[in-house]
Amino acid sequence: MSILQSFKNLVRSRSIHVAYVDVGSCNGCDIEVLACLAPRYDIEQYGIYVHNNPREADILLVIGAYTPGWEDKLQGLWEKIPDPKVAIAIGNCPISGCVFNRPHSYVNPPVSKHIPIAAQVPGCPPRPTEILQAVLSLAPEVFKDYERRKK
Amino acid sequence: MFGSIVSYIREFARREWIHKFLFAKTAPLTTPVYSRGFPELTGKTCTHALFCMMACPAPGAIEVIHLDDGGWEPRIHTGHCIRCGLCVEACPNGVLYSGRILESMFYDNTMLSFSFRIDVDTNRCMGCGNCAVACPVNKTIDAQMSHGGRASTDELLLKVSEGKCVVLHPEKCTGCKTCEQQCPNEAIRVARLLEAVHAPEEEL
Repeated sequence: MSILQSFKNLVRSRSIHVAYVDVGSCNGCDIEVLACLAPRYDIEQYGIYVHNNPREADILLVIGAYTPGWEDKLQGLWEKIPDPKVAIAIGNCPISGCVFNRPHSYVNPPVSKHIPIAAQVPGCPPRPTEILQAVLSLAPEVFKDYERRKK
Repeated sequence: MFGSIVSYIREFARREWIHKFLFAKTAPLTTPVYSRGFPELTGKTCTHALFCMMACPAPGAIEVIHLDDGGWEPRIHTGHCIRCGLCVEACPNGVLYSGRILESMFYDNTMLSFSFRIDVDTNRCMGCGNCAVACPVNKTIDAQMSHGGRASTDELLLKVSEGKCVVLHPEKCTGCKTCEQQCPNEAIRVARLLEAVHAPEEEL
């Protein structure tokens, strides 16, 4: 492994930039993501930063059951994120639609139909520790030796 | 004043302090025991009462699976389950557990009670007897029931009498809604009533 690559690995392991997008949830999972930022869970101690700007992000947290308003937007937002990138579905809604997935409702889950989802965090809402664990366990798999694996 | 500056510098130059400043972490977060997780099996025998599926508010979250050895077992589908714990409370046999729900039910003396109300719309009922023939409770009471839903015994849950369906023993209903599915005219409706009750204290 080249020195440059090991240096990149070191830097990336402490600098994971996260954007979250709410594609029509009840705000319960948004609040749990917000709780990760608060001192009790404090994601910045692990080197995870929330910017909410897809052009700066490495990880996209998708929350919500995919309402029709997002049909022309989520795909573009996903394409704006520079490689290496990964999307995590937070909560039941992006996985199954949860309680909103009833007959005659307009939601269109799962979100994996629309953008590639790498990990799912089930729960309604998931605990902040579960969200944190998902981000931390996924990040090294995606970002470590990214240039070497791309070849 | 000079002394206080020196004492500050001495305080912040300690190796311990610098180490804490640079590498401080919050204590590892553990899930508390009272946290309601996804329901898990206690190992008690499931009797296929299906109260868990009736109480469940999330679509597709719980299913009761027929095992190869003839028994039944509830399966929780993560991604659908909202961890409300109603299935744990509803189960009459204590097959599931989650957090402290079973213990607090025991201490608080609370339970969920199910009752079922059958409504027959006499204007729509044609007296075909499909409901009475399909009813699994009727089958156990009178296996010989004839095709039109007529029977001689009055012990049945429902039967056809004088061209209309009549409900004789609504307390025998198990809430399976088979009659509702079999009715060609949407005349029969089963309402499931789920009540949280505080069980009355034993009278001494």
